[in-house]
Amino acid sequence: MSAPKQRDDTPAVVLENVSKSFGSHTVLDGVNLTIPRGTICVMLGPSGTGKSVLLRCLVGLLRPDTGRVLVFGENVAELDEKRARDRDRLFAVRRRFGMLFQDGALFDDMSVFDNVAFPMRLHTKMREDEIREKVRDRLARVGVAHAEDKFPSELSGGMRKRVAFARAIAIDPDIVLCDEPSSGLDPVMSATLDELILELHRTLGMTFIIISHDTAEARMVAQYIGMLANGKLVTFGPADQVFAENHPALEQFFTRQTVGPIKVV
Amino acid sequence: MLQTIGGLVVFMAQVARATFSRPFYLRQTLDIMAILVQRCIVPVGLAVAPVGAVISLQGIAVFKLFGAERMLSAFLGTAIIREYSPALASVMVAAQAGSSIAARIGTMKVRGQIDALAVMSVDPVRYVVVPGVLACVLVTPLLSVVTNLLGILSGWIFAVPLGGVDHGAFMDNLTAQITPMDLWVGLGKCAVFGLGVGMIAGYLGLNVGRGAADVGKAANDTVVSTIVLILFTDYVVSMALLGAGL
Repeated sequence: MSAPKQRDDTPAVVLENVSKSFGSHTVLDGVNLTIPRGTICVMLGPSGTGKSVLLRCLVGLLRPDTGRVLVFGENVAELDEKRARDRDRLFAVRRRFGMLFQDGALFDDMSVFDNVAFPMRLHTKMREDEIREKVRDRLARVGVAHAEDKFPSELSGGMRKRVAFARAIAIDPDIVLCDEPSSGLDPVMSATLDELILELHRTLGMTFIIISHDTAEARMVAQYIGMLANGKLVTFGPADQVFAENHPALEQFFTRQTVGPIKVV
Repeated sequence: MLQTIGGLVVFMAQVARATFSRPFYLRQTLDIMAILVQRCIVPVGLAVAPVGAVISLQGIAVFKLFGAERMLSAFLGTAIIREYSPALASVMVAAQAGSSIAARIGTMKVRGQIDALAVMSVDPVRYVVVPGVLACVLVTPLLSVVTNLLGILSGWIFAVPLGGVDHGAFMDNLTAQITPMDLWVGLGKCAVFGLGVGMIAGYLGLNVGRGAADVGKAANDTVVSTIVLILFTDYVVSMALLGAGL
């Protein structure tokens, strides 16, 4: 079964009452949110509050215990990768994603060039010269054009992250998931990456869902902001509105206070 | 234990389905085969060649007691082709290839590369496990052919030039006693052992824990469990085939 055809106003992502526990530890507790397509959404929150788990639920790497995860209308939560008929549907949804993992997750046995070319070779019918041109464009955008022949083990942490971002946007996905894109980057490169996100959003209309601790990044790029704390989505909405409401948890996070609704375990 | 066995059965079904359905990753399979041949051929040769020599050395003394040293080559050929060569080639593949496949997959898992593949709509079983399994299934018999020749050659050296057995008698008995069935049995065993090595390496690699120590453990467990499996299965299969008159 293929994914149902969607009207253009179908939200990129809808989470309905999503909960996820590991043993007795509840990581996500009844999360509801809607991310319109073509927006930049930044999810903030302290470490260990389920932000990465949320991303993994979006791409079906984890299945929530309860609730629905709709990606362009397809409920990813009901798809089991181990079942052949579900897998085709899940893979169809995943092809709409590009994902920047927290540690890059570059393939060690491939050069930088081949890492970025990998999704193009798999999922497009581009000729090798077209692939070469596009890979070089992507690497130039993230400032690592000089490193295309290097292997991941020869790169610094920041360079690996930038190459991983180039791979995430390699085939112009509808949704780009970024798990802490600015961690490990110097402030200048972090700002450069934020500008690139804004440019890609402006020129290609990609939807970005960004997990971050970086409040400066949130202020710079976010159109929507969410805040996860203690497993719950304590605030979510258009950035202007969220900043205006100034939820105590958000205030605590932005002002780096140790006392407040966010508990340090 | 039951959970592991159940997981292994489900995993084997996944591998079987992925092996016989598109897309195929032929390039990955050929790359791994090339690596396995490079890594295994010298150790396998070094392991089997002395065995042929020892069989000739020990056997010639016993056969001489009965004046039947001309029959030595029949014993040597059967032992090498049906038993030693498949077992030793497979054990070496387990030690060299099984451990490296498990470590590679385990490292990919720990570093998030398996998840990255999945997010890119690439079935990790199909992309990283199946090529390793196919490579083991194909390379182990290939190595066995080489070890057959090396084992018999070393046996010939200690029987004919050094042991005084007539070359013509050695060759006549060798070719008279060794049947195509012996060759097929040896090659078939290698393919089955290779399948076991690839499966166990893939399973332990994909189900590795969270850190570098777990990757090392997966590699070690692969070697130990596959060698035990190979030697035990070799005994069972040999008994069954002899019982069936094959």
